[in-house]
Amino acid sequence: MSRLFKMPPQLFRIVLLAVGIVGAYSVARYFLTPSSFGEYGWYRGAALAELATRERFYAGKQACEECHSDEYQKLIKHEHKSLSCEACHGPGEAHVQNPDNPDVKMAVLHYSLCLRCHEANPSRPKWHKQIVSKNHYPGKCTECHVPHSPSEVP
Amino acid sequence: MKNAITRRSLLGRISAVVAGVVAAPVAKAAKTVTQKLLVSADAPKGYDPTKHEWVMALDANRCIGCGLCAEACKRENHVPEGPYFRTWVERYIITKPKAGSGAARGETLVDSPNGGINGYPEASVPKEEIQHSFFVPKLCNLCKRSPCTQACPVGATFDAPDGAVLIDPTYCIGCGFCIQACPYGCRFLSPVTKTAEKCTLCYHRITRGLKPACVEVCPTQARIFGDLKNAKPDEPILQFYQNNLVEALKPHLGTEPRVFYAGIDKEVR
Repeated sequence: MSRLFKMPPQLFRIVLLAVGIVGAYSVARYFLTPSSFGEYGWYRGAALAELATRERFYAGKQACEECHSDEYQKLIKHEHKSLSCEACHGPGEAHVQNPDNPDVKMAVLHYSLCLRCHEANPSRPKWHKQIVSKNHYPGKCTECHVPHSPSEVP
Repeated sequence: MKNAITRRSLLGRISAVVAGVVAAPVAKAAKTVTQKLLVSADAPKGYDPTKHEWVMALDANRCIGCGLCAEACKRENHVPEGPYFRTWVERYIITKPKAGSGAARGETLVDSPNGGINGYPEASVPKEEIQHSFFVPKLCNLCKRSPCTQACPVGATFDAPDGAVLIDPTYCIGCGFCIQACPYGCRFLSPVTKTAEKCTLCYHRITRGLKPACVEVCPTQARIFGDLKNAKPDEPILQFYQNNLVEALKPHLGTEPRVFYAGIDKEVR
């Protein structure tokens, strides 16, 4: 078998090395490129799914309504209708997952929660009902106000 | 004879064909195994990112600065304690000008102690000297042309097809270029994971039909969240655009944010 072109051995070694490097790169790329790469763009498409699998803490108002519809119905008829249950009661996903487990408790409510929104502050918008707590009343808010239906008198 | 088929050459050829046939599925299997070692992907089914366009709208006229959003965000997303926030609430105080100074307004004071979670201290200026004061909730502006994505050297941050700008934590090397690139200061380097973090629009919630945690707990609906591709005409997000004159932060940078504001002053940046 006669060679048409006789390659000098030093060139042949360089070509062999180049082919080896490109080959090794191609093999590594084949194995290491995630299969979802380029699914939506120049990134790993599976990252979206991974970010979506994280645990949740807040269950959402709908989940509360499923069991506590009586409280929910009361709430949506009054001024606090725009509030989510979890705004005051704290995150409830654990309670939704284990509704009968007495160890899973919702947040303990405190009167500072009322003042968190209703303490007078010059930065707050004027339409928002505000009080100066130390001039308003020394006792508990719930003596006069019902949190689920603020316009009712207890 | 030159091309005579000897037993040796025939066996050689047969084994080459068999090796080729066997190698392809073995390589595929090896690839799957390699990738399982590198990434874990338990994809939740039924969510197609190309069929949504998530946007957030913020109405500063309605924000009362209670900080529930910042607190809920910290809890929902395991944001570390300390000065790390994915969303926070800023208080702006614009003072009255000094008499005879020729200015329309005085100083602009901005603060956000602990993101507004523990409330705000008494203003440093007396009430009579305040010309305007208001709260502005801040979060990732979900830019259509996001500088953070362009700055990332490893392609870890990307614009998802549904409008969220996300970070792939398995790719992020924690170099911090994106943190410098973000003109809105919405990113931070997590001391826990050592990767860049930012608002993901609560991606684990919105893909399940829930609202982001900050929107869920906002008592005054100052935060409005919606899907422009699937919004019905009476939905809050479209009502927001209908009822307000809206603006974006730093429009001169050409980042084209998807987060719009209503009722903010020119001092808000």
